[in-house]
Amino acid sequence: MRAWPIVILVLAAPVLAAESGVTEDGVTWLKKMATASRQLNYSGTFVYRYSNQTETSRIVHYVNQAGGEFEKMETLDGPAREVIRTNDQVICYLPESRTVLIEKRGKRRFPALVPEQLTGVADNYVISVTETDRVAGHECRVILLAPKDKMRYGHRFCAEIASGLPLRARTVNEKNELLESFAFTELTIGGSFNRDRVRSRYAAKSKDWRVDHSAFSIAETPAETGWVLTQQPAGFRKLTELTRSFAGRAAKVSHIVYSDGLAAVSVFIEPMTKTRPLQSLSHQGAVNIYTRTVSDYMVTVLGEAPATTVMQIANSLELRGAQGR
Amino acid sequence: MDKISALMDGELDDRQAREQLVRLKQDDELIGYWHAFHVIGDALRGEPVLSQGFNRRLSDRLNGEPTVLAPQRRAVKRMTTYALSAAASVSAVALVGWIAFVSNPFAPQPELAKAPAAATVLPSAAPPAQLASVPSDGTMNEYLIAHQGFSPSTSIQGVAPYIRTVSGVRQDKGR
Repeated sequence: MRAWPIVILVLAAPVLAAESGVTEDGVTWLKKMATASRQLNYSGTFVYRYSNQTETSRIVHYVNQAGGEFEKMETLDGPAREVIRTNDQVICYLPESRTVLIEKRGKRRFPALVPEQLTGVADNYVISVTETDRVAGHECRVILLAPKDKMRYGHRFCAEIASGLPLRARTVNEKNELLESFAFTELTIGGSFNRDRVRSRYAAKSKDWRVDHSAFSIAETPAETGWVLTQQPAGFRKLTELTRSFAGRAAKVSHIVYSDGLAAVSVFIEPMTKTRPLQSLSHQGAVNIYTRTVSDYMVTVLGEAPATTVMQIANSLELRGAQGR
Repeated sequence: MDKISALMDGELDDRQAREQLVRLKQDDELIGYWHAFHVIGDALRGEPVLSQGFNRRLSDRLNGEPTVLAPQRRAVKRMTTYALSAAASVSAVALVGWIAFVSNPFAPQPELAKAPAAATVLPSAAPPAQLASVPSDGTMNEYLIAHQGFSPSTSIQGVAPYIRTVSGVRQDKGR
């Protein structure tokens, strides 16, 4: 009798080992990708595809000796647009509308892939490290993340063999249709830090542009917003909960983020201010955006997850605590 | 004109409504008011205003539909039929308004063709699951930016996903 568990263990062992072996390898690649995109110097051109559109952009990423990150992305098609990131501050320059949007964070770092998240990824996706491919002249390893259920999308990365830098990222729906993709068409890895190459060309010109004041009024504070989900989508857990402010709005906005380790869904709750449609559903690439009202509040839920997941989150929101605002 | 407004608000009894509908049918100027009131109503409710020539196109489509009218009846009956079809057109307009609101304003005409057939469906009764998703028009950009900073995808792909934020802007500008 006693031998049975051992027999089972022995039989199960190779299976477990094989499974965890693959997963670990996949997780290792995910970590490698995240580290590479933060710590490498690189510059190149990438193409963003969504719906039937493509957009080409130039990207430069530098890390200085202190570990500070400087990143610049500028679109090469259509009206000029530029995104500059300096550590935790993101500035979007929109010359056509003479607008500057600034998103500045407090002490919180840009999200790193923490171990918890990686566990989440392994719980919700089947990770497989498959063949090699070539992207922008660089050899890369294909990493597949197949969703275990319909609550999330599938992802296919191709990470540069040596450094792990993601050269291509594709998001597919349950029918395996491509929702969006990012892919380098030309890339140089390495090079020394050059502050000028990550400076905005609009820094001086934009002095008299409209500046979205979130920049300066933003105050993200961890908070109990009082809002809860009665039906949390499988595999998603709360990443953070805070109150913040947006440009031109007096009222504080509650912001709750749910994540399955890879995809994130943000919930924004604010008092109703102006006339907005009672309900709307829109999308941008793999991001679905759903708005609805809950009593006197306007709820905006968005994330790189299927519309059903985004809507489930929005529809199961409930104000429990007294602090809801 | 005030009668037309009352008709629109459903304040007239059957007989009065019929009278007004007959007037509407005969008077192009009144029809113009009727349309204008609806446009104003839409604007007040923050619903997108239908494109120019919409009514004409819708009428053309409706005219193209097979007409299921019983052979020659008395005038009163005909008027009833007209009132009903007017009501149907109104709900078709409301539904099309709804569709136009949830779809791309530059969406091709076929959606209009579907509308009359679906006129019996009340827009407000449409379950959320049937809500059509439209490309983002840039109005959600501040939320997108705020969200992007928290998304693990950003930690893997760096600043690249922010392209989603600035991509919508162009569509917005295109309007």
